[in-house]
Amino acid sequence: MTNKEKYKQAFSVLHTSENFSLEVEKMALLKRKQRMNIAAAVAAVCILLIGGTGTAYAANVGGIQRTIQLWIRGDQTDAALEVNQDGSYRMSYQDENGTTVEQAGGGVAFEADGSERPLTEEEIMEEINAPEVKYEEDGSVWVYYYNQKMEITDKFDEDGVCYVKLSGAGETLYMTVKYQMGWATSTNSYISPKGFNCISPSEGD
Amino acid sequence: MRKPVSELVERYQNNLYAAAFNVCKNAEDAEDVVQDTFICYHTNKKDFENEQHIRAWLIRVAINKAKNANRTFWRQNKLSLEDYMETLTFETPESEALFETVMKLPEKYRIVIHLFYYEDYTIHEIADILKISESNTKVRLSRGRALLREALKEEWEDDK
Repeated sequence: MTNKEKYKQAFSVLHTSENFSLEVEKMALLKRKQRMNIAAAVAAVCILLIGGTGTAYAANVGGIQRTIQLWIRGDQTDAALEVNQDGSYRMSYQDENGTTVEQAGGGVAFEADGSERPLTEEEIMEEINAPEVKYEEDGSVWVYYYNQKMEITDKFDEDGVCYVKLSGAGETLYMTVKYQMGWATSTNSYISPKGFNCISPSEGD
Repeated sequence: MRKPVSELVERYQNNLYAAAFNVCKNAEDAEDVVQDTFICYHTNKKDFENEQHIRAWLIRVAINKAKNANRTFWRQNKLSLEDYMETLTFETPESEALFETVMKLPEKYRIVIHLFYYEDYTIHEIADILKISESNTKVRLSRGRALLREALKEEWEDDK
């Protein structure tokens, strides 16, 4: 018997269990419904957020609107950006399919004495230009940063942590990614995974 | 080209299950992976060159998803590999020893060994599926084989 024959004989014991259901169409439908429910929940949150900032927004009519160059998934595109005095921003751009994408965000920063102040335009631009971690449907994981696009699927260690060094806008970013648990960056060194998004007190020890 | 998902399920579900199990060493997770992989095919609408392209894509997605399953917090306290092995009926004691030895290899060697010996893929094809270089694939295959030979002695031929 060749090694291949031996291997195939040994692994031929592996098969799905008898009660394993593979009604893919039904499962896909269920999954789509689940996803739509999540999307509906996200949409509701967005409405609440926009509604919540409405008063402040109305009081700050005349935010500066201008066109900026934005990197979306490694492609440069033009975006209309409006920054308001309350530290919020609204931005719109067209994605690769020609669909207009609206994005809003921003907020306040806390000073050392605990007082709040609106985010500065520089801080907002930092937020907009931050790296993006995207979990694709085929199970692959990608990091996008300015014109860079990097697959990190196989770069996670046994604890589900991955370290990525990014260069862009004249500086180096050290990025720590926790699998589906967020990420953190620093311009000096990699942030310890225990230093953010811990799920149990012991993890932060 | 596209193939009906029911046809692919019939033909490849056990191959995907074996590949997924090889990575995550857990029956329940491997079944979830197979299901997710076919759902991904069904919803993706990606166009393929031929059936070999579909098969390679399905295996690549199953391996990715199995790796993801290894990283999730929820996979604790499930049936251990040892307990699961007791439910399997091996044809010979040598088969059982080979299975056990393979499952003890580091994951990066294990999956290359599996794609080569079970799926009959070439070095070039394995490199393409795993998105690693051909030289890296060769090194992993060679080290995996050496570990198998060391553990299984004369039961594993020198097939360099």
